[in-house]
Amino acid sequence: MANVLDLRRRIRSVKNTRQITKAMKMVAAAKLRRAQERAYASRPYVKMLSSVLDSLIRRVDIYDPETGEARHPLLVARPEKKVTVVIVTGDKGFAGAFNTNVLKATNQFIGEHSDVDLDLESIGRKGRDVLRRSYSVASFSDDRKMEHRAAPRSRKARIEIVGEHTGMLDKLTFEKAAHLAHTLVERYTACESDAVYLVFNEFQSVMTQRVLVERILPIMEVGKQDIASATEIDREQREEMVRAAHTAGVSVQSEDTREADEEASKFGTAQVDYIYEQPPRQLLQELLPRYVATQLYHAMLESAAAEHASRMTAMDAATNNASEMIDKYTLTMNRVRQAAITKEIIEIVSGAAAL
Amino acid sequence: MAETTSLRIRLVTPDRIFVDGTADSVSLPSRTGYLEVLYQHAPLLAEVGAGEVTIHGGNIGDRVIFVSRGIVEVLPDRVTILAESAIPPNEIDVGEARQELEQGQRMWNEAGDESKRYAEANRTIYEAEQRLAAAQGAGHSA
Repeated sequence: MANVLDLRRRIRSVKNTRQITKAMKMVAAAKLRRAQERAYASRPYVKMLSSVLDSLIRRVDIYDPETGEARHPLLVARPEKKVTVVIVTGDKGFAGAFNTNVLKATNQFIGEHSDVDLDLESIGRKGRDVLRRSYSVASFSDDRKMEHRAAPRSRKARIEIVGEHTGMLDKLTFEKAAHLAHTLVERYTACESDAVYLVFNEFQSVMTQRVLVERILPIMEVGKQDIASATEIDREQREEMVRAAHTAGVSVQSEDTREADEEASKFGTAQVDYIYEQPPRQLLQELLPRYVATQLYHAMLESAAAEHASRMTAMDAATNNASEMIDKYTLTMNRVRQAAITKEIIEIVSGAAAL
Repeated sequence: MAETTSLRIRLVTPDRIFVDGTADSVSLPSRTGYLEVLYQHAPLLAEVGAGEVTIHGGNIGDRVIFVSRGIVEVLPDRVTILAESAIPPNEIDVGEARQELEQGQRMWNEAGDESKRYAEANRTIYEAEQRLAAAQGAGHSA
C-alpha cells in the first residue's frame, strides 16, 4: 500500500490540475458568452439579406422562359462530379468531442461520395492536422494567391486539400469569411466545383446544437438551410452541457429573437412597387455572392460558440473528475494513516504486555 | 410617439445593428451617386457603394458613418441599410486604406484583358480612395 507521503503528493498534483481545468472552464464560459452574443448579433443581417434576396428572386424571372435555365450561375444546379467540402473545426483541442464530431461527419460524407472528386477546404488547425494525415495537398499550376484558385488544375488524387485556414476563427472578421466565400464562388462559377458543402457545428443555444452538413452552393432556396445530414448531440452530452452552463453562469436558453426576426424578415419585401436604382438582376448579381459569404460567416460564428461550449463542458467534467479523485485519495490517505497508527498502538500494547 | 415626420434609420452590418434610431434626413452613397432621403420618400431599393452615410436630426444626433458594399431599402417612413462594413470616419485606418489602394492598383496592372478583373480592381481602388477621403475629411493628418 502506498504511503502517506506519496498520497499527499498525488493529492496536491490533482488539486493543481483541478485548478487549471477550472480556470479553463471559466475562460471558455466567458468566451462562450461573447461568441453567443456575436452569433445573435449577426442574425438580423442574415435574415434581412435572405428576405430581400428572396423577394428579388421572385420579382426577377430567374429562369429563362424559353430555355428554362437559371440566369444566375450560382442558382444553377449541375450534376455533382466535383464537390468542395468546407470543414469548420477549432484551432485548439481540449474541447471534448467537438473536433471529432465534425471530422466524423466529414468522413461519413467522404464515404458517401466515393465516386466523385472531392476538394477539401479546412478551417481550423485541428481539422487540418487530421486531414493532412490522410489526404494530399493539391498543387496549383501557379502558386499565386487565393483569388486565382479558380483555374483548372491537374489532380493527383481523387481527394485533395485545396485550402487551409488556421487561426481564422480566433479573430474572425466578416472580411475573412467574405474572402473565402469569394474563392468558393469563383470556383463554382468557373465550373471547378459543382457543389459546395459546409460541415460545421451549428449552435443555436447550449440546448440546441448539432453537426450539420449543409449545401451552400448552388443556392436552391434562399433563407432555407439545404441540409444534407445532421447529427444531434445525444441526451447525455446535452445534460452535461446544461449542467456545465449552469455552474458557469451561462444562460442555457437562446434569446427570444422572434420579434426581431420577424421585423428583419420584412426587409425589402413590402407590398409596394419599389423604384430600383439598379436593375433587379444587377442587384441580385451583387447580393448572391454576399449571401454565400454571410452564410459562411454565420457558420463560423456558430462553430466558434459551439467550440467554447464544448470546451466548457469538457473542462467541467475534468474538474468534477479531479474532485472525485481528490476525495478518493483523501479517503485512502486517511485509511493508510489510521492503519499505521493502529499498527503502532498494537505494537506498543503488545510490547507492554510482553514485559 | 405623436404625429411623426421622422424616419426610422437602421444600419445593419454582419456583426451587429450599428445604428437604430430616428432622423429627419439621411444621405446615402448609392452606387451611382449620393441620395438624400427625407420623410415620405418613394419606396426604393438601391445598391450602396463606398462612402459616407450622414444622419441629420432625430434622437441619435448628427452622425457620419463610412460604409461600403451594401444595399438600402427606403420606405416612406423608414430607411434600412445593410452594409458589409460600417465605421466612423475618424476610426479609419489610413495605412490600411493606402495598402488597399496599392493592392487595387496592382490588381489593375495585372488584370490583363479580363474585364471582370478590371472591374474588381476599379472597385477596390474606388473604395480605398473613398475611405481615404473620408478619413481625411475627419481630420486625420495625411
